[in-house]
Amino acid sequence: MRKFNIKDLILDGITYLFSSVSLILLVIIFIFIFQKGFSSLNLELFTSPYWSENYYASIPASNNTYLLKSTLDSNEYYSEKFGIALKDDFNARNEAIVVISYVHPDSPFNELTNSTSGANEGQIITAQEGMIVNKISYINSNGVTRSAGPVIKQMAEDTINTIEKSDQLDSVFLQTQGGGIFGSLIATIMLILISLLISLPIGIMTAIYLNEYAKYNRFTPWIRSSIELLTGVPSIVFGLMGVLVLFPITSVFGASGTSILLGGLTLSIILLPVIIRTTEESLKVVPDSFREASHSLGANHSQTIFKIIIPAALPGILTATILSIGRIIGESAALIYTMGTYISDKPELLKGATSLAVQIWSIMNGDQPNFGLASAISIIILVMVLVMNIGVKVLTRSKVKKW
Amino acid sequence: MENSFSINNLNLFYGDKQALKNISMDISRYEVTAFIGPSGCGKSTLLRCLNRMNDLIPNVRIEGDIVFDQENINKDKIDVVQLRTRVGMVFQKPNPFPMSIYENVVYGLRCQNIKDKNVLNKVCENSLRKAALWDEVKDRLNDNAYGLSGGQQQRLCIARAIAMEPEVILMDEPTSALDPIATAKIEELIQELKKDYTIIIVTHSMHQAARISDKTAFFLMGEVIEMGETRNLFHVPKDKRTEDYITGRFG
Repeated sequence: MRKFNIKDLILDGITYLFSSVSLILLVIIFIFIFQKGFSSLNLELFTSPYWSENYYASIPASNNTYLLKSTLDSNEYYSEKFGIALKDDFNARNEAIVVISYVHPDSPFNELTNSTSGANEGQIITAQEGMIVNKISYINSNGVTRSAGPVIKQMAEDTINTIEKSDQLDSVFLQTQGGGIFGSLIATIMLILISLLISLPIGIMTAIYLNEYAKYNRFTPWIRSSIELLTGVPSIVFGLMGVLVLFPITSVFGASGTSILLGGLTLSIILLPVIIRTTEESLKVVPDSFREASHSLGANHSQTIFKIIIPAALPGILTATILSIGRIIGESAALIYTMGTYISDKPELLKGATSLAVQIWSIMNGDQPNFGLASAISIIILVMVLVMNIGVKVLTRSKVKKW
Repeated sequence: MENSFSINNLNLFYGDKQALKNISMDISRYEVTAFIGPSGCGKSTLLRCLNRMNDLIPNVRIEGDIVFDQENINKDKIDVVQLRTRVGMVFQKPNPFPMSIYENVVYGLRCQNIKDKNVLNKVCENSLRKAALWDEVKDRLNDNAYGLSGGQQQRLCIARAIAMEPEVILMDEPTSALDPIATAKIEELIQELKKDYTIIIVTHSMHQAARISDKTAFFLMGEVIEMGETRNLFHVPKDKRTEDYITGRFG
């Protein structure tokens, strides 16, 4: 029988304890993010802009009453004179707000006229469910214009009661909710396209050169170890290099500061070593017997590479692409300098914008960090990266090596 | 009989190591020539000289003449692609490309920029018929070649070589990865093919050499010890070392 050994027992115990610590920490992080972010997660998040839009609009006259056909919840208050229901709510920063919960199809609120001076003045605006009401101006019995709504600390119930007493509304100050990620989502997709468009051809061709053309070259080991070194350079250094070295290139195209193009160029340089290494690994796996057979059939070097080697290495090259997309989605440090931190709802190639990861940085950086939205975006990023990783697993597993 | 290859004073070096020493031999047309000998004796290396496959290996230096069709193919200026279309090769392990059976057969033609569908279809059928594979695969030409058995894969590789209409087919231990039944089929095929092609086969099996070849060359340590009619070499070897090898005393 084995002798009882106290030292082994302690060592085993420490191993179990410490290995479980990392697991427990991971689980706690996930639980925390999901708990914080899950309530903020909805489909509207993906389609709505981040910044709220303000509308100051005049309300047309109406002498009707708009009877309610369906019933409303107990926290919604309806004005029969003007056909609009309001309710109390909280915004992402936990501030009390009043939002529109229902608009009658014939209500004058469907045909508001924009009175904010600017290009859109005079346009017809429709009040929509979910818009924030800040102020409603009404004309009282003496013909004097008065205000109702949160601007004079009235919540939904008081606001409705006040305007019900009036016969004529004058104007309304509306605000869209905002807090969406539509702009960052588009910017991230643009970023992925630009960086892959640049780095994939360069990276794959470099790998092919190193593995197929210059295999026995004296310089190849040097090039290879430089690429290895590049993998270890922190991305913030690449970001700095992007500003200093790559900005002149983007300014030729007309960028005046940070831009998605600059971010894409910088990221494509960060991606190069990853793509070169992964592609080279997949080229190495292609057996030499394919190369020999191809040559023996009278194919020249480039025919062998483009007809045989690359198709056989395609799963590996796809893996490199997916890994790169994951890296682009997760990257933040290098993008803060090069793409800026101002969240843009309408991203343009030569203007600054934020990727999803940088949007988290931006909304946590202000005076009132928005934990809910930041966690929701984190969940989205986590799910995306997870899907990518599963994709890589499936790809490498489905590639049954029969040769 | 006419010679296909005339090799004269061939020396081959891998770096500093000499792998072939003063090889001189003639290889006759429309015959099967077998190279036998223990592992590492240089028989595969010599075979690969005949279609310049050693070009793919770095640090190889080859001296001497290999005359093929009145031209020395062992010089820099020769058109290697053209040589390889005239001298086909079948390898030790079946190595079809990871594509369809059809594409495997016509690969060489596609590399010569032949695009005419009718030509490709015709060559594909003829080559597969000659390789005795047509009846087994005619209904699944578009299936992946890796769905075939090992023996079928090797016959596909032979068909692939035949598709180029070569004059010579080099075979580097073509049956060493196959079971006895598949081996028998390939051997039968070689007998059939020698009517149209010159075949040079490297083999580890002396029985195989005795069964299928017309001439045999025995290699040892990079030298040709003895070459002659297969029957003579196996029954009345002139050299003591040949006798020792074929009677199984070493190797």
